[in-house]
Amino acid sequence: MRNAFIVFVLTAVTIAAQAPKPYTAPRMPDGHPDLQGTYDLATLTPIERPAGMNAVLTKEEAAKLERAAAVAREEGDKSIKGDRSAPPKGGDGSRGPAGNVGGYNTGWLDPGSTYTVVDGQKRSSIVIDPPNGRVPTMKPAALRRTLSLIARPTSDAQESNDPGLEPAGSYDDPERRPLGERCLLGFGSTSGPPALPDYFYNNLHQIVQTRDSVMILTEMVHDARIVRMNAQHLPKTIRRWMGDSIGRWDGDTLVVDTTNFTDKTRFRGSTENLHVIERFTRIDARTLLYRFTIEDPDTWEKPWTGEYAWPATNERIFEYACHEANYALPGILSGARLREKEGGK
Amino acid sequence: MMSMRIALITTFLLGGLPIAGHHAFGGEFDANRPVLLRGKIVKVELVNPHTWIHIEVVKEDGTKEVWMVEGGSPNSLLRRGVTKASLPEGTEIVVDGYQSRDHTLKRANGRNVTFTDGRKLFLGSSGPGEPPKDAVPTDQAKPPSR
Repeated sequence: MRNAFIVFVLTAVTIAAQAPKPYTAPRMPDGHPDLQGTYDLATLTPIERPAGMNAVLTKEEAAKLERAAAVAREEGDKSIKGDRSAPPKGGDGSRGPAGNVGGYNTGWLDPGSTYTVVDGQKRSSIVIDPPNGRVPTMKPAALRRTLSLIARPTSDAQESNDPGLEPAGSYDDPERRPLGERCLLGFGSTSGPPALPDYFYNNLHQIVQTRDSVMILTEMVHDARIVRMNAQHLPKTIRRWMGDSIGRWDGDTLVVDTTNFTDKTRFRGSTENLHVIERFTRIDARTLLYRFTIEDPDTWEKPWTGEYAWPATNERIFEYACHEANYALPGILSGARLREKEGGK
Repeated sequence: MMSMRIALITTFLLGGLPIAGHHAFGGEFDANRPVLLRGKIVKVELVNPHTWIHIEVVKEDGTKEVWMVEGGSPNSLLRRGVTKASLPEGTEIVVDGYQSRDHTLKRANGRNVTFTDGRKLFLGSSGPGEPPKDAVPTDQAKPPSR
């Protein structure tokens, strides 16, 4: 018995000696962890887990997928015929954002090359709760609400059957166009909250921290969110496009609580009562762990949570002054007016 | 038909992050107006949200017209060392894409933008698009996986 006890103690001491030292983040003058830096949020890990995938990718699975992404990029970079003809009439079959007219050469893009790593594991989705890695289904009333907002023509223009076009009414006036397209706020939810990858390019974010405020700058579309530390939320009558963010420290984790959204952003169909709780933790000298929980009882039955790593980068954020040279938006609208003149063709 | 329409809209809303992740290519350019443009660069606008490359195209009747070709944001190019000097005026390029839905405009998307020998612009290969030797590729600036 005594021998067994000695073996137990010796084993425990050995394990303790081998265990990696817990990471201690560098401190700000106020004693809290220094979260400052520029981070590149680009990742291959999608928001939601693709069907058939496990939550954690094996090293081999991750390597295969990352290689496939690299090969796709190499293929996209390859030379083509200089003496070529125009693409096919009726569209080139491209889907997603390229909308049947093709996007750009891959050389323009910077969508990420690796899967995010959390707790030493390659993750197949940013969503971690529900455990299936999928954003919960919207409540039926929320879906009806969202549909009514999107498919509501404001003109009597004849609906076009062109598959490249969005639902009738989508081009009726500038205010019906997405905020990103109008250079007002990040694309998708790049500026957030929650701050999500763009999967296209310009995924840099910068954190600047003082005792009383933390600023999170999103490169695209140049959005600066100011988190007021140890403050109370603004009255409900004061609403902001990125919400009202207040922060506090929970040990070495910065917790940011955001409410007071407007009805302009509608993150994944949510209402202005969206409540986002974010947790920023420095887990090593070059990485933050970013976790967020989404609550909106008018949209989803239960809260849901996601997390992914924010690796630091030595790259610089560039200004994304977007409005002055946004030739795309007037082009989209003038094209719609021309279709109306031509009878919806 | 209605259910299909709702399904399409639902996809657009919920599964459609890539769509929400960028501007409406399909709303800006007309899939029924394919173009092949060959011409010399007369101006490059490295501006957000899109780079625009202006090229002078000589038509069959000998007259000239300037087309504007839409590319991506210049920010990621700048990080790779591409500057205005990387695409000097007079460089001949070939563009295939689709004309803007406003047909009164001479604009097209840069679906493929190459030099006349078919090399894509802005690659690490030799040529005007080559990043400077001291440029740090974004993926190498990231820390190794933990």
